Parts: sequence; C-alpha cells; structure tokens
Amino acid sequence: MGSTLDTSGLATPRAASLPRRMGRFNRWDTPWLNPKLLAGVALLLVILLSGLLGRFFWDTDLAFSGKAPLNLPPVGFVNTRGQAGTWEHPLGTENSGRDMLALMIVGAPNSFLVGVVAAGVGMTVGVILGFSAGFIGGRVDDVIRLLSDVTVTIPSLMVLIVIQSLMRQVDLTTMALLIAVFAWPTPTRLIRAQVLSMRASGYVHMARLSGASTWAIMFREILPNLTPYIFASFIGNATGAILAAVGLETLGLGPQRVPTLGGTIYFAINAAALLRNMWWWWGLPTLMLALIFIGLLLINLGFDEIANPRLRRSSQ
Amino acid sequence: MSIRSRRMKAAALPFLLATTVMSILVSCTSPTAAPAPEATAAPDATAAVVSPTEAGTTGTGEVAREDTVIFDIDNSSVPAPENFNPFVPGTNRNQGAHQAMWEPLFILNYETGAIQPWLGTEFTPNATQDLWTLKLREGVTWSDGVAFTADDVVFTIQMLLDDDTASLDNAANMQQWVKSVSKVDDLTIEFALNEPNPRFQLDYFSVRIWGSIMIMPKHVWEGQDPFTFTFFDQAKGWPIGTGPYKLTTASPTQFVWDRDDNWWGAKTGFHALPEPLRLAWVIAASEDQKALLMSSGQLDSAMNVSLGAFEAIQAKNPKVIAWHAGLPYAWADPCPRQLSFNLEKAPWSDVNLRKAVSLIIDRAKMIEIAYEGTSEPSRTMFVQYGGMNPVIDAIVAAGYGTQPTANVDEGKALIEAAGYTLNAAGLYEKDGQVLSVTIQVPNDTAEYTRSNNEVVEQLRSAGIDAVSQPLTGSTFGDNLATGNFEAAWNWEQCGSVNEPWNSMNSLNVSRYMPIGERASANYVRWNSEGAQAYSAIVDQIGTLPLGDPQIPGLVAEAYKYVYDEAVVIPLAQAQKLVPFDTTYWVGWPTADDNYNHPATWWNSTHQIILNLKKAGQ
Repeated sequence: MGSTLDTSGLATPRAASLPRRMGRFNRWDTPWLNPKLLAGVALLLVILLSGLLGRFFWDTDLAFSGKAPLNLPPVGFVNTRGQAGTWEHPLGTENSGRDMLALMIVGAPNSFLVGVVAAGVGMTVGVILGFSAGFIGGRVDDVIRLLSDVTVTIPSLMVLIVIQSLMRQVDLTTMALLIAVFAWPTPTRLIRAQVLSMRASGYVHMARLSGASTWAIMFREILPNLTPYIFASFIGNATGAILAAVGLETLGLGPQRVPTLGGTIYFAINAAALLRNMWWWWGLPTLMLALIFIGLLLINLGFDEIANPRLRRSSQ
Repeated sequence: MSIRSRRMKAAALPFLLATTVMSILVSCTSPTAAPAPEATAAPDATAAVVSPTEAGTTGTGEVAREDTVIFDIDNSSVPAPENFNPFVPGTNRNQGAHQAMWEPLFILNYETGAIQPWLGTEFTPNATQDLWTLKLREGVTWSDGVAFTADDVVFTIQMLLDDDTASLDNAANMQQWVKSVSKVDDLTIEFALNEPNPRFQLDYFSVRIWGSIMIMPKHVWEGQDPFTFTFFDQAKGWPIGTGPYKLTTASPTQFVWDRDDNWWGAKTGFHALPEPLRLAWVIAASEDQKALLMSSGQLDSAMNVSLGAFEAIQAKNPKVIAWHAGLPYAWADPCPRQLSFNLEKAPWSDVNLRKAVSLIIDRAKMIEIAYEGTSEPSRTMFVQYGGMNPVIDAIVAAGYGTQPTANVDEGKALIEAAGYTLNAAGLYEKDGQVLSVTIQVPNDTAEYTRSNNEVVEQLRSAGIDAVSQPLTGSTFGDNLATGNFEAAWNWEQCGSVNEPWNSMNSLNVSRYMPIGERASANYVRWNSEGAQAYSAIVDQIGTLPLGDPQIPGLVAEAYKYVYDEAVVIPLAQAQKLVPFDTTYWVGWPTADDNYNHPATWWNSTHQIILNLKKAGQ
C-alpha cells in the first residue's frame, strides 16, 4: 500500500510537466530560487535578526517609559528645543523617555510575531477544515462552508475592539490568538475550492483505486501539491494579521506595556508628534512596518510565481 | 424596590444599550478616520460649524468664522447628544449646555475668592447657618420668554428631594442637607437645612468646581419623569435655558449654539450681548488633532494639551496664548491626581501593600516624565492652592505628608513582610499567585494615560505586576461608582478649593456602599473603624464656620486615618494647559487678566464668553 502512495506522488501534474524543460536538471534552476522570494526573505531576515541580535548589543529596557531623557532627536538632528541627538540614543527618544532604537529592536519582532502566530493558527485550522470540506463533502462540507461563510461576514475589527477593551491585559499571544479567530475562514474557502478541483484529478482517482485512506489522500497526495499555494496564502494571511494588530495598536487597544510598532504610532499620534516635528517618533515605526509589508509582499509574489509557472515564464 | 427606582432601571437599560452601541459605532468608525484625522475629520468640523445646514439643524444662516468661537469637548464623543437632562448620570453638559445655555446662580471667583452673583443676587444664612435665603435677580427670563422665578428653583430642588433613589445628580447632596425648600415671594426662596452648613451656597450653587445645580424651567419639566425626560425637541424649541445662546445643532461630535438677541441680560442692563454670534463645541479627540486645529486657527480654545504640543502650536500659530505667558504656561486645576485601591478587594485590602505602593512611587520622576515638569508632587490629597495651605501645613507637620521621592527599599520590605517573594520573572509572588494590580484610567486625555503609564512602570520595576487599563470616561465613572475596580488613577477627592471639608466628606463612611451597589462617593469602599473615627471628625468640621481656627488641627487629626490606612495615594497636582487663540477673539482669562480661571469646560465659562472681544477692534 505504501509503495503505491509513493508512485502516485510522482504522478502529480507539476512533476509530470517539469521534464519538459531541460534546465530543470541544473540544481540552481529551481523555481524556489525566485529573486522576489529571496529578496523578501532577506528583508524580513534582516528585520528579524536585527531584532533578535540587537538584544545582545542594546539595552532593551530602554524601550519602557522613563528610561531615557525625553524628546531627543536622532544623532545629527536637532529638536524644536534646540537639543541635539546623542550617541547614547542614536535614533532619538519620545516624550515619555522611551529609546527609539530599543523600541524598534523590541517592537518589530513583536509585530512580526503576532502576524506569524495568528496566520499560523488561522492557516492550520483553515487547511484542516478546507480539506475536510472539499474532499469529504456532503454534510461536513455544508457545516464548514456555513461556518466559514458566517464568520467571514462578521466585522472582525469591531469584535476585536470590543474584546480587547474588556480584557485585563492584552499580551502579544492573546492578541495573535484573537486575530486568528477571524483568520481561518478565508483559507478554508480557498483551500476547499482547490481541493474540489483536485479531487477530480487522475492521481487522486488512482490513489483511491489503490485503496488509500481519505486522510492519506488529503494530506499525503493533495497537500504537497498545494504547498506553494498554502505558503502564499499564509503570507497573505500574515500580512492581514499584522495589519489587524497594527490597527488595534494604533487605536490604543494593543498591549499597554509591551512595545509594538503600532503602539508607538498610537503614542506619537496622541502626543502631536507630527506637529512637534518629531518625525523619528512616527517615522521609524512606519518605516519598519513598510519594510515588513514589502518583505511579505515580495515573498507572496515569489510564491505566486512558483505556484504558477505561466507567471514565472512571463516574468523571465 | 420603589416604583421610581424600578422605572429608573427600566429607563436606564435602553439608554445603556444605546450608549454601548454608540460607543462601538464610534470606535468602529475611527479606523477609517485614524490614518488621516487631520486631513479629513478636522476641517470638516469647522466647515460644518460655519454652515450648519445639514439635516437636523433648524437652518439658521451662515455665520462667519470671525463671529464664531470654537471650543473642544472634554470627551472622546458625546454618547447621547440629544439628551439634555443634566440630572441623569451619563449625560453631558460641558458640550456648551452649561457654558452657554444654562446659567448658574453664582460663580466662585478663583482669583479673588469672592462668590459673584449671576442669576442669584445674594444667598445668606441665618446666625446658626441652617436657614439660607436666596434672592433671585429681577428680570431674568427663559429663552422662550417665560420669567425665571422662585417657582423654578423650588421645583428643581423639590424634584431632587423627591428622588427616592437619590441617583439624580446632586439628589443625594440635597437630601443630606435640605429639610425643606419654600418660596417666599417670586424672587425669594428659603432653604431649611437638616443641620448647619456654612458651605451650602459655595458647594452647590456657585460653580466651586466644574458645575453647580442647574435650575430647570418648571413650565417645561413639570409632569415629566426626571429619569427619562430628555429635554430635547427642536420643534418645541427645547432645550431652553436663561443663557445668551440657543442650541442649533447637536450631534455626537459637534454642538452649535447661536446667540439669542432677546437675552435677559442685555435687556436688564446686567451685561451687553456677548459679541460672538455663534459658539461651537467640537470633539477633537487626540492631542494631534487639537494641536493641528489650533495651529491652523480652526479651534479657539482646547481643553488641555501637553507642554510639547503647546510649544508646537505656538511655533505654528504665535497668536496662541495660555494662562502664563512663559513656563509652566499651565493653570493649576483643582483636582489633584491620585491612586486609589478598592479597599474591599484582596490582596489590596492589605494596608501594608497599599503603603508599599505609596512608598514605591517616585512622584517627582512621574512629573518629570508624564507632565514634562509642568506640575508638582502632591503632599496630601488636597489641592495646593493658597487657601488650602493652613490645613496642608498642619497635616505635613503632624507627619502625614507624602514624600515626593520614592523609598523603594522600604516599600519592598513591606511587601516581603506580607509573605511575598520575588520570582524568576522579577515579580512578587505568594502561594503561586503573582502580586498584580490593574489600574483603571480614563482615556479622554493623554495626560491621564501617560501619568498612569508611569505609575505602572514604577510599580513593575519594583516587582508588582501592574497593568494600565484605559477606559472611556463613562465606563470608568461607572466602575468607580459600583466598585468594579481593583485600583484607579483618579481625582475623586477633588472638591475642596478654599476649605477642607468638601474633599474630606467624599470619603465619609456614611457614603459607603457595598461592591455592586452604586455609591455617590467613598468609591474606595472605606468602612473600617478608622473610617468611622475619620467621619466623626469630618462631620464635626462640617458644622464649623469657614475659616474657623480649629479646622487645621481637626483636619490633621482626621487625616491620620487616611494616611495610616493608605486610603488615598496622592500623586500629583493637576495642571491644565489651556491654549487660547487670539486670532479672532481676545479677552481670554490669563494670569495678567485674571477675571477668573481659564476652565472653558466649566459652568463659569459664561464669564469668559461675555468677556470676549473681536480681535482687531
């Protein structure tokens, strides 16, 4: 039984189409070495590593209020009171004495973490439900489709705002899990649609004829073929989750004390940073968020090209 | 349960639901407005002020910007904009209602200490201070032309006395003091008190702080249920007041008032008509928005901004001034900031833990950070005005004053003595329970949350798992009243300005209510033997005439219990940096032109509005 599974795995549509290009045998000519994907990954790695390694070089305690002088500009600039930036706080400080460099070191990975956890949970649930609905069909499909359709119509931000305001303390994991509650229906629907179309394909029939169990067909036959698709969907989901998290933080509903990029923007808005010419206060977290989103977008585009050979060819 | 209270609860339910839905809606609309508040919401607000021709207005003509004064509202939004019943909890009156429409009987002048006559001309006690006689001004009329008389005053006070739920605004106070109220003649009213009260006029009728009892027109209110009546019906011209402005538009974010040229004051020679043809109160929720509106001349006065924002506004709009011409710019607000614990919720019912918190807080550092140095540490729970010095000095001399700097080691020793040890995360723990505290704070103004954040930071670095929980003003107030809080950053002992009794009485054990029931004061649920002893002294102080030489000694004696049980943890004096734009209007109150204080969200704002002159005249 096991050996039949392996052969049917080779008989996937893409595996069959690959030998058409001779270059496929060059180990460097793999679709996974997509320049957009690599650039995106590199960008995110730089942000993540600077966050993770920065902790060893910079005192992250400075990210909390009252730990540094107030309102200092970055090195080389002067604030409205004529104070010049110092190397003790190279990216400046804000009006409660939080050090901007420490805020970035702690805040960027935090925002990233929320996105990954929320998207991870949402995707896992989405994959399981989507496969079940698409492959098993019948009542299971009806129930899952109904649930996901109903959840999609709930305005998640509104519910999140209400829940957040009722909680004693919102930490990053809680926020990620809350966002994940609304992050599963879209992947469920997308994957269900893909599975439905794949269910009718030859290799699935083959596997079924060979007596493979439903579970095995779903996750050992179909799932590998959907990997790039799932990754792309995951990245899209992570982007959405980070956006939701930043949205909540910017409204002042994020974690009260844990430094986050959105929270920094919230404080900046609240304290008229724009008008006070404290561009480093709102500018740096905005820049970090922009970089994170660009990185995610590049990865998403990369996956798209991997999953869709036509796109790949047209871009080459 | 009385019929009245049942009716009130029934009435409160839809209101609460409406409030909740409204606040959700408001929160939900913010995400779209948030990215560019300055670009969208702000100019619209002013545009609408100048031409209020949308649906729902009575369609008066356009008024030029230079004839309009624009204020901001001290709220994130007005949940029930079409409710002008000032007695029901949760309704607003600082959206212009008590600054432009409803006039007070008297106004306390903070600068001279004198009580100035307004709708009343004099309010005098007998020798034993338990029979007070109020004389009204002749010729005062409501904006619908009906005369303002003793009947209106008697009707309003009687309504409060008849409220057996004591939940209407000031009903509890009136019931505590007033035995009966009666009309002597059209302009004279007698108040017979249950016991002597030398502060009867000061406390309830003279805008001592923020507001005073608003007299309502008997000819409109008679026969209405004071719990459900909204006093709003534009077809009937409601709401009405005696003031020189009438309501034109009411919405959750904006209120427009137009001048009533038939104002009694101009006819009787009390004061000429005010110069502004139109007044507007708008919501400018964030400091950024206030600052942007002020620096571009779209807001004439903001309620309170931080020093940094003020400097930024001045840099862009040099015509913006404040109380002082230089640092600290701000005016000292009479409501000192403090931290209070719910005394009936463990573990903070342990007095030593509360004392530890008081020792751990570095007030000087908090002021340096959260107030950018514009305030000063509180030495007691009282406001540090000159008139309060004798009692504050007596308390400090008796050794019950609060230190401006921290003594963290001593604080930690107290926590450890209570059986707590530091865990691996650097937080105190006992029997597997981390020592935590959630401090609720109203989120209306950046000052509140900033100040509380600093308290939280200091407690955390000493090993207490403190968390700040920002809440909308109405939820915060509700939680305090029902005891639904562990700790609160608040100003509930605010009240005294020139005598100590008022602040002290807000902790009176007679106001104690168990958790879950709505209290009108003593929100911390202080009900110990110390509270009994304290209240006995406070009651005694309450009967002494203002300025009696015994008072400071008695206050110190009573304050011992507050200090020993850490009932109130004083933090900082409050500062309000109220910016005024002189581009269109001059005559704003300043330290040099100090006809009164600059609080434009108070009932005393009538004085400011009458004093405004067009710039360039």
